[in-house]
Amino acid sequence: MLKNHNFIERSIMGALSFFKESIFAEECASQKGFLQSLDPRIKAITFILFILQILFTKDIIVLLCIYAACLLLAKLSKIDLGFFLKRTWVFIPLFSLFIAVPAIFSIFTPGAALITWRVGGITIIITRQGLEAATLFVMRVITSVSFAVLLSITTKHFALLKVLRLFKIPQIFVMTLGMCYRYVYLFIEVIENTYLAIKSRVGIRMSPQRGRHIVASNIAGLWQRSYQLNKDVYKAMLSRGYSGEPLILDDFKTTLIDWLWLFAVLVVNATLLYLRYRTA
Amino acid sequence: MHIPDGYLGPATCGFFYGLMMLIWMAASKIVKKTLKAQQAPILAISAAFSFVIMMFNVPIPGGSTGHAVGGVLVAILLGPWAACIAVTVALVVQALLFGDGGITAIGANCFNMAVVMPFVGYYIYKAISHNAPFNSNRKVIAAGIAGYIGLNAAAILTGVEFGLQPWLHHTAGGQALYCPYGLNIAVPAMAGEHLLIFGWIEAVVTALVVKYLKKQAPEFFEEG
Repeated sequence: MLKNHNFIERSIMGALSFFKESIFAEECASQKGFLQSLDPRIKAITFILFILQILFTKDIIVLLCIYAACLLLAKLSKIDLGFFLKRTWVFIPLFSLFIAVPAIFSIFTPGAALITWRVGGITIIITRQGLEAATLFVMRVITSVSFAVLLSITTKHFALLKVLRLFKIPQIFVMTLGMCYRYVYLFIEVIENTYLAIKSRVGIRMSPQRGRHIVASNIAGLWQRSYQLNKDVYKAMLSRGYSGEPLILDDFKTTLIDWLWLFAVLVVNATLLYLRYRTA
Repeated sequence: MHIPDGYLGPATCGFFYGLMMLIWMAASKIVKKTLKAQQAPILAISAAFSFVIMMFNVPIPGGSTGHAVGGVLVAILLGPWAACIAVTVALVVQALLFGDGGITAIGANCFNMAVVMPFVGYYIYKAISHNAPFNSNRKVIAAGIAGYIGLNAAAILTGVEFGLQPWLHHTAGGQALYCPYGLNIAVPAMAGEHLLIFGWIEAVVTALVVKYLKKQAPEFFEEG
């Protein structure tokens, strides 16, 4: 949460990179690749099955195979692998790697010594159990993050939010999610414009105390604008036929490829489940 | 504080999903009763507001910047149950569409940031600002203290969830399967940075925003 650079520059850059990433994700979702051609409902179910499989797996080799399958799916879906690896490794997995490193030493994970050093009278030991625990942890995180990112960049965001209805989530939540998604863009644009205005009128050099006041007044201003917007949005909803109960159009279609893909994923997951319980 | 996939084991994820189902059902019923029809979009707008609060970089001494979470602020402005729904929606959008926070950890993340943080903060704010005259600074100070304690309560709970993993999920040889650190490391690590740095950012932002709104839009505090 702590970053260097000036807070005005940082906020403008944050808003710009949010828009850049969103546009890129929409471009990926519009490609004519394998995952993009699947029905979002079937795709979401199969990806959740993979993520659950990753959560339950205790074997590093199985995790490596699932990760390889994820990269193959990304390639088949015409996702640039360089971009995908950058997008999935930076920040969460690298952070996880950083916090997993101490766990390989005997001070945190006692066990059979793999490597021993003596530095200035202190013995440093890397244990087999520690190394395995840290590798399993990092592999689990990177594989899960990769599947989650692959799902979000190969599916149009609105379709992904509508898929939630499949899990019997009340329509009010689905409607709120869809509306929230739209307002996020509006508000981020407001933040970008506000900070650009501050930068052009008063510059970026100011004391941290003055800066905190500027941030707080902007958050307060955004809240007031949001609250006023509520009335206009409600009138717009009424004029479009809103009667208290939200209606969501369902335009999903399944094809033979969807059912074959679902069958294949079910077979793979059932096999992994069987192997896990047979070796347990 | 967003827990990614792979940090918590299946039992913890399942437990928090189950618990949150009950809380979401209660929150929907309560909010439906209290929210007027014309306020229907406010939940979505508040959820988007919760989402973007984290994009406001706050300058801190030493030239760095950090950001607030805003869970307590939304609870003070909307009430804790509506804040629970708004922050939940923001967290679901972050996890599903932007990979911020894990899909399997949505239940735990929502419990920490959409339940513990707003409820703890809201009731601390109410207790301190109870019967405060409108033009006294007690509401502003109460908001700052509530922001600090609310964020730290959520951070310490996150540390407890991490710290329980080696005890809940391990091999026969004692090797951890998920977060590898026990309570003695995970809790101080989470508590330390939040008590020393991020809690203060949350406190300052919550207090200053309440101060500005009290001056510019006093109608938000009429009932309190």
